[in-house]
Amino acid sequence: MIKVDHLVRRYGSHTVLDDISLEVQRGEVVGLLGPNGAGKTTTMRVLSGFLPPTSGEVLIGGYDVVTRSLDARRRIGYLPENAPLYPELRVLEYLAYRARLKGLHGRRRRRGVQKVLSLCGLEDVRKRIIGQLSKGYRQRVGLADSLIGDPELLILDEPSLGLDPNQRRDLRDLIRRLGADHTVLLSSHLLTEVEAICDRTIIIHEGHVVASDTPRNIAGALMGHRVVSAEVRGPRDQIAAAIESLDHVMESEIIGEESGWFHLRVQCAKDVDVRARVAAVVASNGWELRDLRAEVDGFEDAFIEMIRGLNQA
Amino acid sequence: MRKFLVMWQKELAGYFLSATAYLTMCVFLAVTGWTFVWTLSKNEAPGDPLTVLIAISVTMWMPIVITVVTMGLFAEEKRSGTLECLLTVPVTEWQVVMAKYAGAMSFVVVMVAPTAGYLFILPAVGVQVPSLDLGSLLSGYLILALIVGFCTAMGLLISLLTRNQVVSAMGCFCAVCVPFVMGGVSRAVPQPASDVLAYLAADEHLLGFARGMVDTRPIVLYVSGTMLVLFLTVRVLESRRWM
Repeated sequence: MIKVDHLVRRYGSHTVLDDISLEVQRGEVVGLLGPNGAGKTTTMRVLSGFLPPTSGEVLIGGYDVVTRSLDARRRIGYLPENAPLYPELRVLEYLAYRARLKGLHGRRRRRGVQKVLSLCGLEDVRKRIIGQLSKGYRQRVGLADSLIGDPELLILDEPSLGLDPNQRRDLRDLIRRLGADHTVLLSSHLLTEVEAICDRTIIIHEGHVVASDTPRNIAGALMGHRVVSAEVRGPRDQIAAAIESLDHVMESEIIGEESGWFHLRVQCAKDVDVRARVAAVVASNGWELRDLRAEVDGFEDAFIEMIRGLNQA
Repeated sequence: MRKFLVMWQKELAGYFLSATAYLTMCVFLAVTGWTFVWTLSKNEAPGDPLTVLIAISVTMWMPIVITVVTMGLFAEEKRSGTLECLLTVPVTEWQVVMAKYAGAMSFVVVMVAPTAGYLFILPAVGVQVPSLDLGSLLSGYLILALIVGFCTAMGLLISLLTRNQVVSAMGCFCAVCVPFVMGGVSRAVPQPASDVLAYLAADEHLLGFARGMVDTRPIVLYVSGTMLVLFLTVRVLESRRWM
């Protein structure tokens, strides 16, 4: 769906994007991460067709964003950073205007607008003037705008900016649902959000792509280990030792207890999944197991460490 | 075409659904009306025809009007970031520029058109006026429309070069004043420069047309000038060099 080949973007003599190449397949939900000033917004602006690349090629659904700009733009729903809107319009007026610009007229327009209003939970404020809405609602109007006309590709620049935790969870659910039949590229400062929503993460630093993989693998690759958590009922003094004796397990410790169930944190080699063997060892000892999962909590640490390492390099 | 109409409609709504627009119109009509009455009182026989007086009264306020109308056209969209939304939907830069231009021109035309009514109000309130030459009136308004069209295009281009409305307003005001001072400058410089400048002098064109002397050269000048400036505006927008 997205193919970026040796993309360079300069502002004057300042190079913001330096030889970026990446690919996003149809149906993927990809997160773009990076510290401030890494080039996330510029990347999204180039992909959306707003900024022309200084050199390199950007294809959206097979169409070049420079030479076949209109064809490329027809496939994109774009939410710019801070969701800029016309403050003097009402929500419904704004969405109707945007729908007409995207080529929806008459009944198709009404139906399209109605659909995004209900998807983004905006039905109650449809008659309100945008300038009087809270930041969270404005963000949702921007998101609704990007969804009008059901574009194949959604490019969302910081979609959760200004939302409260509840709204953020709703947004996460919405993007996950959209991810079923859309390709989504989103940028975010919130690592947990990217972890929770995205199939894959692309990390950008100073205009370069420094990593592109699942959050779990990035964490694993950087931290040198993976973490599995388990809840087991059995004799406290034997559980941790039994699991630690397994191959590839580096460390196993009990980090909590709840009415007889011990919460274990198991560190293992990064390229091995020890979950089946943990289950087997618990079963063979006749203990009980009620939870067993691979944690991705190392991701935030991994990200911070990676950026620190790159800054020192 | 349909997208141009959608955007033009949005621009028109932006003008005509706001109280500021009607306030601007009222102030403009009051000020030009006062100027017209003042020039009329200073106009001793044989003097200038009424069509010249009305053209002068309207034109002298045009730099301010065009500045107010055009200063925010692109600058405001750039400042608030909505230009990014506008240019990432499937519309061409030509459609965007022409819709903004058409919107601004529509507003100025609606604002200026009622000034022709002053000439018909005078006899109604009992002022003795010589017979009115309709041809001169029409040609006067024709050249006024062409000059305004050119100046509005310049204002549009300048508002695209900055995101600050104050900078845009100052730049636009200076640029729009240039054609009107050409006549004065041409009289101050030696030939052959004065001939060239006189050809570009908007005030001279205006006086000629308002007296009923229709000349095709200024028409060609303003139409081609407007097209050139609009073309430049589209090119600047396409390059996004100043975004």
